[in-house]
Amino acid sequence: MKKIGVLRFSGTNCDRDVFSWIQLKGFHPEYLWHLDQFAINDYEALILPGGFSFGDYLRSGALAARSPVMKSVKEFSKQGGPVLGICNGFQILCEAELLPGALVKNEGRRFIDDWVDLQCVGVSSRFASQVKGSIRLPIAHGDGRYYLPEKDLQALWDSGQVWFQYRNENPNGSVQGIAGVLSKNKNIAGLMPHPERAIADWMGGTDGWSFL
Amino acid sequence: MSNKIKVGVKVMPREVILDTQGRAIEQALKLNQMPVGQCRVGKFIELEFQDSQEQALKQAEEIAKKMLCNPLIETYEIKVL
Amino acid sequence: MKLDAATLKTKCKHYRISNEEYQKICQLLKREPLDIEWPLFSALWSEHCSYKSSKIHLRKFGKTMNATVVNASGENAGIIDLGQGERIAFKMESHNHPSFIEPFQGAATGVGGILRDIFTMGARPIALANYLCFGEVKAPRMKYLMDGVVHGISSYGNCVGVPTVTGQTNFDPSYSQNILVNALAVGLLRPGEKIALSQAQGVGNWVVYVGAKTGKDGVHGAAMASEAFDENSEAKKPNVQIGDPYFEKLLIESCLEAIQQGLVVSIQDMGAAGLTSSSFEMASKGQMGMDLHLDQVPLRDSSMTPEEILLSESQERMLMICEPSKLEAVEKLFSKWGLDACVVGKLKKQRTVSLFWNKELLTEIDPDLLVENAPVYERPFSAWASPRRVSSLPDLKFSAAKVKIELMQVLSNEIAGSRRPIYRQYDQRVGAMTAHGAESDVAIQRLPDSGRGFALAVGCRPFLMQVDAQIGAYDSVFYPALQMAIKGVRALAVTDCLNYGNPERPEIMSEFVASVDAITEASILLKAPVISGNVSFYNETMGSNITSTPATGVVGLRDHVDGLAADRFGKEGLKVLVLRLKGLELSGFGQKPQFKGEYNPQKVTELIALLRKAAMEIPPQASQVVGLGGLALALAKMSLDGIGCQAHQDLSISSWMKNILYQIVWVTDQAEAFEKFFQNSILAADVEILDLAITKKSVLDLGSELQFSLPELQKLSSEALQSYFQGVST
Repeated sequence: MKKIGVLRFSGTNCDRDVFSWIQLKGFHPEYLWHLDQFAINDYEALILPGGFSFGDYLRSGALAARSPVMKSVKEFSKQGGPVLGICNGFQILCEAELLPGALVKNEGRRFIDDWVDLQCVGVSSRFASQVKGSIRLPIAHGDGRYYLPEKDLQALWDSGQVWFQYRNENPNGSVQGIAGVLSKNKNIAGLMPHPERAIADWMGGTDGWSFL
Repeated sequence: MSNKIKVGVKVMPREVILDTQGRAIEQALKLNQMPVGQCRVGKFIELEFQDSQEQALKQAEEIAKKMLCNPLIETYEIKVL
Repeated sequence: MKLDAATLKTKCKHYRISNEEYQKICQLLKREPLDIEWPLFSALWSEHCSYKSSKIHLRKFGKTMNATVVNASGENAGIIDLGQGERIAFKMESHNHPSFIEPFQGAATGVGGILRDIFTMGARPIALANYLCFGEVKAPRMKYLMDGVVHGISSYGNCVGVPTVTGQTNFDPSYSQNILVNALAVGLLRPGEKIALSQAQGVGNWVVYVGAKTGKDGVHGAAMASEAFDENSEAKKPNVQIGDPYFEKLLIESCLEAIQQGLVVSIQDMGAAGLTSSSFEMASKGQMGMDLHLDQVPLRDSSMTPEEILLSESQERMLMICEPSKLEAVEKLFSKWGLDACVVGKLKKQRTVSLFWNKELLTEIDPDLLVENAPVYERPFSAWASPRRVSSLPDLKFSAAKVKIELMQVLSNEIAGSRRPIYRQYDQRVGAMTAHGAESDVAIQRLPDSGRGFALAVGCRPFLMQVDAQIGAYDSVFYPALQMAIKGVRALAVTDCLNYGNPERPEIMSEFVASVDAITEASILLKAPVISGNVSFYNETMGSNITSTPATGVVGLRDHVDGLAADRFGKEGLKVLVLRLKGLELSGFGQKPQFKGEYNPQKVTELIALLRKAAMEIPPQASQVVGLGGLALALAKMSLDGIGCQAHQDLSISSWMKNILYQIVWVTDQAEAFEKFFQNSILAADVEILDLAITKKSVLDLGSELQFSLPELQKLSSEALQSYFQGVST
């Protein structure tokens, strides 16, 4: 049975949360340390969890994106392997140029922890494929403002790469309220909200459950 | 006659203060086989003035002291750009 | 070499050692202290490290211990056993003065410091909380301090990956020149996980230094905050301690891994007085000796002297004892996480700590002289006499119009405005355990192994302390316990952070003793031991002292996390009941502090037990303890989600405003069951229950011209603090 790899960079915080989530869903998680390569055929999917890799120093995700393990991650995704980046994971995938755009400081210049309404506007090949319409997930980030040059936005829509948008309220000033994007081949996905924090009623919501 | 003049203010952490960003980047560079001796991270602020160079530098000095630099933990340098 | 009087005076002042203390040192050493020994005594005999003014009173907390206590050794976090293999470590600490000087770093390093006290025990940190007291918002620098402190807590806590789940922010003029920043941390030991201790053990074992390199952080102490800085006073500037939460995260993971793999004999964090306190305390507790080679300490600044190395307060460093056979594994483990782990000494049987500098012996000193033999003072105090008790309180002769204005006023300012602009900056959900976060008074997390609810709340209301220090101290434990009870949570243990002014003033010391006695009594009655704590004295500037503030952290347990009562109205057509415990009434907020009646801790304890039972057997939709500001304000706050209530009882104005200890709001469709429950209870004659109102959408009508527009209240409340926490500082 193939495993789901959970990437661990120096400073990743949400690895254990993602690991438990994968187990609860009946899959087989395995931690992948950022300094080591891995055998890409052993894994059915990869998840880059949230946190503060390298303290978010220099730019969020910048130092982690240049970690040795990213070589394997790039190879895996090149071969069509599904890769999900959550929050800091999304930032790392953008810095590694596996996803378009960049995440910069929230417009309000302060960290935000809150629940947000999201609209699903795209379809990934592997993640949240059952999700339709509007859902509610928690966000917790200081650098969540999505940026893509004006001239590239239309192309992003045209190729169905916009995955989620903030509804009702744009918490961080992301361009066009974009909360998550997909790669051209739809196998790589990134979003700022945390699905692993919305998988039980007592957590405040269950819309994150079906992301895996 | 005054014209546009740009002044740069470089704000660095005081030598004696721990520079957490610098340390993290140093470590990452080492991991990437690009080791450096010491890395220190600061801020560079560009200020535009409509004034003589003398006046601009004077104002920049005041701005740096009053707002851009926290003298407890930072030092600053000013130069005309 | 005998010192002349002038030099002695200067040295004593520089190292903050009194004349009497100097005499005592000479007595203990049987000679005058060497140069290198001055900083040792300065650090370890400081109020912060030795608790010299408070020790004799803190010993009273020993009476609160019970079988659930695994460890309450005073210095580090206490540990209690929750049963089913789950254990909780928790502690609270102050970082008041550094935060006043540099609020961002002061608050950040406060969080870092308290976290280290937790994971040094082998417990994984699962929650952070904070207790903040600011002065008048218009006071000099206050906005800068407020924004900086919150930003500092947020930046550190979020990055290190521990959720900040609850807190309390108070405002009072008495803190204008001495803000309070208290940080609390909780750690979890799961079934089977090892607890790490701090006593040095094993002759021949290595003393290993791990973590960040040592720099001049904190050396030469903190200058008075009122001193102005100019570019010529480089030398006078305090070396602000800088915290690095990223580094701390690496330290947490590596230390926990080392402890759980059994590679560590004992471990202690380097906190206040850095290397000095950790090494001497480990040696003293373990009744062993130690050879310490200061030149082996990893340095950030190679110009540092032995004294500076001993006094440095560089953050994110730990001292460990490990067996020689395990050293290689230890080095490899820490190296994996990118941290230095190096041998700086060795344990020996002879009970002295020998400090070496490049093989030269600087001094040899019995650690007990510094730790066990620190001075113990019996500061004068008098028995508590409740100076502000009166036989009757002035009538609250307000018109409805005035009440309405007052209420909307406090809701729109820092007194009762929404704290959301603060806690929205805190990650409350990392760890995926949080059920109720900072939006509630009581935070609740789900324990991963047993599925039970772990609850955390902080306490102490400064206004009550101004009314009466004893009542305020009772309340600092009972109020959070009440808030927990109405959610079905049983309080299990207490930690405290006692913030007081100058203990050399008898009136302040009297408040301190009265507070400790009250907390002890409350803790015994609740069967919730005080297992750890901290004292911060000398919160005084130019003769002006803060309000005595015994901040508390209370932890509790609930059978499960389902069916938790909300804090606000959430459904129409439910009955709004008010339960009142008879006996104690306070003056109104903003009035001259006075009280009438008796505080009866026994009855409050019984009320807490009954409410907890009721919350589990007759679960309410919502429940609240009425705070200062009275019933009208409490109902207004409960209406902020858009559902309010319509009163069908015409209460007098004073009834809406009175501060009674205690009043509980209970929202339910099982009113008769609730009333019967209390009628059949031991408190039947002591409580009265009013059937006050019915919940109703978009309406807040308390009768007699007390009607409010909910959208207006929502706007006032949400905007109250917004402008203060939006990045005033760059």
